[in-house]
Amino acid sequence: MPEFYRERGGFVVDARMKHGLEERPFEEVPAPPEAVVFLRQHLGPAGRPLVRQGQRVMAGEKIADGDDPLSVPVHSPVTGTVLAIRSVIHPMSGEEEQALLIRTEDEALPKPTEETDPRSLSPEEIVARVRAAGVVGLGGAGFPTHAKLKAARGVRHLIINAKESDPNVACDIRLLRERPREVVEGIEVLARALGNPEVIVATRTQAGELPEFEGLLRERGYRLVHIRPCYSVGSERLLVPEVLGREVPLGGYPPDVGVLVHNVGTAYAAGQAVRYGLPLLSRGLTFWARDSGGRNLWVRVGTPVGHILRYLGIEEARFDRFVFGSALMGWAVPDLNVPVVKATTGIVGLSPKEPSPYRHSLPCMRCGYCDSVCPVRIFPSLILAAGRRDDKAALRRLKLAACIECGLCSYVCPSRIHFTAVLRHGKRLLQEMKSPSPKS
Amino acid sequence: MARSVGAGLEPGPHIHAGFTKDRLMRGTLLFMAPLAALGVAAIGWKVLAHLAIALSTAAAFHFALVLGERRLRGQVLHPSWLSSLVAGAIVALSVLAVTPYAVTFAITALAIVLKFVQGWVFERKYLNPAATAKVLLLGGMTALAGMEEGLMYHPHHLWLDMVSSEGFRAALDWMYADGPFSPGLNLFLWKTHAWIGGVSGLATLLLGAAACWVLRLKWRIPLAFLGGMALLSVILAGATGGDPLLRLAFHMFTGSVIFLAFFMATEPQSTPMTELGQYLFGALLACLTFLLQLRGVLGGSVIALVALDFLTPVLDRVGIRRAVGEKGRVRA
Repeated sequence: MPEFYRERGGFVVDARMKHGLEERPFEEVPAPPEAVVFLRQHLGPAGRPLVRQGQRVMAGEKIADGDDPLSVPVHSPVTGTVLAIRSVIHPMSGEEEQALLIRTEDEALPKPTEETDPRSLSPEEIVARVRAAGVVGLGGAGFPTHAKLKAARGVRHLIINAKESDPNVACDIRLLRERPREVVEGIEVLARALGNPEVIVATRTQAGELPEFEGLLRERGYRLVHIRPCYSVGSERLLVPEVLGREVPLGGYPPDVGVLVHNVGTAYAAGQAVRYGLPLLSRGLTFWARDSGGRNLWVRVGTPVGHILRYLGIEEARFDRFVFGSALMGWAVPDLNVPVVKATTGIVGLSPKEPSPYRHSLPCMRCGYCDSVCPVRIFPSLILAAGRRDDKAALRRLKLAACIECGLCSYVCPSRIHFTAVLRHGKRLLQEMKSPSPKS
Repeated sequence: MARSVGAGLEPGPHIHAGFTKDRLMRGTLLFMAPLAALGVAAIGWKVLAHLAIALSTAAAFHFALVLGERRLRGQVLHPSWLSSLVAGAIVALSVLAVTPYAVTFAITALAIVLKFVQGWVFERKYLNPAATAKVLLLGGMTALAGMEEGLMYHPHHLWLDMVSSEGFRAALDWMYADGPFSPGLNLFLWKTHAWIGGVSGLATLLLGAAACWVLRLKWRIPLAFLGGMALLSVILAGATGGDPLLRLAFHMFTGSVIFLAFFMATEPQSTPMTELGQYLFGALLACLTFLLQLRGVLGGSVIALVALDFLTPVLDRVGIRRAVGEKGRVRA
């Protein structure tokens, strides 16, 4: 596997964190003594709790849901008793959100029901089963899968994203190696829900690297595309033009150009949900720390990072914060109680000896590195200047809305400027322009 | 471990490529070092004196200003002393060896002051500090002491006929006769009377191009600048007759053009960010420099550079490229 990803402008992303990780099989982490289960596990509104304090819940039982089209049910990952509802820092937003604290009394997971052939189900029935199982995008964004499937029915192409671009994550490739049949069955389910479009699987592997998976794809006539080693192409906005040569319009989504993109982990979860009626209770992720290296883990949703450390036999005191998700895009949270959510692709443990590289940034020297590397071809340097003076007209002229917050501008910046905060602030300003408050 | 909820949250990214401003400055110094060595070989020990004066002045003024900044502002905006050393090296390599040492000292000191003051006032540099210091100081000296002593340009150069082929040939024979080759080849390979950083046009071209590649400098500016100079030379040679190669050698490879193209015109803060802006900057720089050269202001590129720096905020608005997805933009 290439250990440096080539980006625009001749820059590279160091992916040596992944070295040897693809060879490490998933290890099943036992259920935590207390699971911390957020009422919101995805990109969308939080669900209402359906249980009360002191109530006993079964593993796989629905414990939260909502009426919003973008709400997704949440299921208990363990059998036990609800101890409390608490505010905990959410690893997707970096803000405090409500979570159910469940004491584990039985680790057993629900058994699969009798296998259902997805061909016997209508697309509507498949979408309903996907929603009922609480499946969301497992590539990191966590968009509700049922909503994506519903909105994109009739698309001509389904791209399965197995690109796994983040430099600290290797769980998708492990999934393709360890559970290829289940993944392909999941792809079939998604394709059926969309009216059987052309299926294209995009990976960063070379031909012949995943023989069983490749064979299963061939049997079904699915196309396998080997993508160049590049971090930014992992974003669906850039993966679509890379695979099909057509751009997703600014302000639009892949279905606007007849494409739907799903992560390979999502396909696996959808297959389990529709074929076996299994709710999404656990997922694969990659834990990485400088001293101990990387491990691929199969972890229940709601497992606090502290429990993962105890399982791995790593001393908690060595770390002072943990990055949830991508090392380039995720939040770093200084709390051992923050749990894995459905969208957590990886965790990076950072010690006090590894402070943020951006803590002492220098003034922008306008070297243009950020502009050269930007995969969506905007000008972070000019946006930075416009954002600092709250110049909304300039932010719009500079096409800030196209920013995918990939973090590459900061990654290459010789002055170590943390662009992300400025870019997000600018995007908020643009949103305010679009939707003025009722008073105005 | 800090366990207080909500404290110390950090958004991504959490990793960095490792290429810092100091490494960029160190790289720039490394690429200029062979030019300094060539200067010593071609011109002599005076070059070492200019370098020593400029580098030590830059370091001394840097530390003095940092100290003052820390006392008065409580924080240091420009902690990179390597950046000041680069400014000092550029000053040393952009003077003639015959320049009085006091002038090298004064230009360097003013350059470092301009570098800091622009940062404090504007939070960025709008004007190239080394070029502006040179123009201000020599311009001021010329205004006060007259042309001969002012060193802004040499008044006897003003009477040279740089337009007609005969006058141009005679001027070059007079200026570049000293050297191992013919005037054209001397300009290209080995000058003994030039900006120190440009004694060998070929070496500066190769090292400058390598610096652009390795350090990712704004390469479109030297490309458009030198391309523009080449084009104008060929046009003028065609219009007036004479040897086009000699025109090219002079207009592209005088020390003030070739050194400035790579090591001054690519100064990041005072130059445009967009690709088109950089091409325009280089092309306009070529036009202005060419005109000044024809008027006998042979080191006029530095004046042209300062003039063009004023245009940078305008050029930053030109050539905002199409973002991915913009072609099929969904209208709100």
